[in-house]
Amino acid sequence: MTLEAIDVRHAYGDETVFDGVSLSVDPGEVVAIIGPSGVGKSTLLRLLALFDAPDGGEITYDDTPIWQLSEKRRLEYRRRVGMVFQEASLFDASVRRNAEYGLRVRQSWTDRLRHEVADLVGKSNGTGQALEALETVGLREQATQDAASLSGGEAQRVAFARALAYDPEVLLLDEPTSDLDPRNTAMIEDAVMEARDRDIGIVIATHDMHQAERIADRVGVLLGNEIIELGATERVFDDPNDERTRKFIDGELIY
Amino acid sequence: MLTPLVVDFPFEWNYIRSIIYVSLYVSLTAVALSTLFSLPIALFVGFKDFRGKTLVTSIINTGMGFPSVVVGLVVLFAVSNQGPLGSFDLVFTTEAMIMSQFVLAAPVITGVSLAAVSSVEQNVRDAAYAMGGTKLDVAFVTIKEARYGIATAVLAGFGRAISEVGSVLIVGGNIASSDGTSVTRTITTAIQLEARQGRFETAMLLGAVLVVLVLLVNAIVVRLGSDDGGYR
Ligand SMILES: Nc1ncnc2c1ncn2[C@@H]1O[C@H](COP(=O)(O)OP(=O)(O)O)[C@@H](O)[C@H]1O
Ligand SMILES: [Mg+2]
Repeated sequence: MTLEAIDVRHAYGDETVFDGVSLSVDPGEVVAIIGPSGVGKSTLLRLLALFDAPDGGEITYDDTPIWQLSEKRRLEYRRRVGMVFQEASLFDASVRRNAEYGLRVRQSWTDRLRHEVADLVGKSNGTGQALEALETVGLREQATQDAASLSGGEAQRVAFARALAYDPEVLLLDEPTSDLDPRNTAMIEDAVMEARDRDIGIVIATHDMHQAERIADRVGVLLGNEIIELGATERVFDDPNDERTRKFIDGELIY
Repeated sequence: MLTPLVVDFPFEWNYIRSIIYVSLYVSLTAVALSTLFSLPIALFVGFKDFRGKTLVTSIINTGMGFPSVVVGLVVLFAVSNQGPLGSFDLVFTTEAMIMSQFVLAAPVITGVSLAAVSSVEQNVRDAAYAMGGTKLDVAFVTIKEARYGIATAVLAGFGRAISEVGSVLIVGGNIASSDGTSVTRTITTAIQLEARQGRFETAMLLGAVLVVLVLLVNAIVVRLGSDDGGYR
């Protein structure tokens, strides 16, 4: 159950974002990717989420090269991965329906239709897994509320819960707390720790060095157009191999 | 002396009911078919980049204001003996009327739906995909997010179809059967006939029905526009 980027390169048009980047995540570990804004953290996460094919190199899951598979087979792998974005991007529906979405798309069309009808006539009382996931982020009580009525922090916690609800093996978090206050940030971080304890592999992009230090087992530093440093969190922070890492951590590198 | 008065009594309910029925049957069918046709196009044009996209967009925009008599003329030619659909015998039938109203409503529904689906944020579509949705699932999410705009589009298409005269007059022929019920006579074509023949009461009544229908549709559009809630 290892998701791996091997020597990947990605470009938008002629603009190469990074080249020769390798990164893997195992079950039950938290890997942080730190680096300045615009360096390609989101791009790397999208590759790991099997959204986009890399322009070079390979993305593998359990040693299977994903982009050599048919779209149908790739979907099976894609469904073992969850992703949370910087903006909550909730659907215009109730909190519960948001949390259930991942479970719904995995059901047969007849089951989905049945649930859809049950929801319309108000006869559905929710899926256990979705409610459990909401519990994890402390929002089970808000299940029947409109997603649009939530605060920014609550919305992001729902976004986290809905990625957790279908029990992914890997979670990719793209600066999930960068718009949040300390309290909501702490709640998301607690939920990340809980997910790790359930043996989910987590990759989190962040520009918050302290967050990486708090929650990550390993840290990768993306700078220029490569990963200049990758290792155990303590080692990277206390004894970086690359001078630029030290400067970045100390805030001397301004971008 | 009394007999003509009774015959001329303005409100012949069977006649009026059959006209309303034909109108609703033709316009609702045309709008339902247009919607099925237009939504995939709106999604495709809204989210795919392809060559000729600006051309397609301007065809849609032109179509929204296309004169209905011209549409009627083209459809009449298509179903006439010389036309490509001549063998189906569709001249002066409700099927031909549905075809011409389909052509009139489809650009309106496509154009308004296109604006609605284009306003759905890419973030939200990405979220559906990230949770394991297929491209079809993402399309459904987009439709759901744009549901009020799409409903407005459908109602606008219905408004155009139910109130146009030109094309249904040409392809339908404004026919009533010998028992005095409508075959291809709609509210609009009946109004012009009744008015021309001086039967103003019937014309007025049908006019009132049409206005009520259109007002009703507008009221629903306004309601939808102010509704911002999702369902539980
Ligand atoms: N869809 C896109 N099209 C073109 N350029 C993009 C796109 N997404 C990102 N970029 C560019 O790629 C670079 C990396 O972006 P991103 O991965 O979002 O960085 P980060 O998440 O680290 O801030 C930036 O220069 C950005 O402008
Ligand atoms: Mg980013």
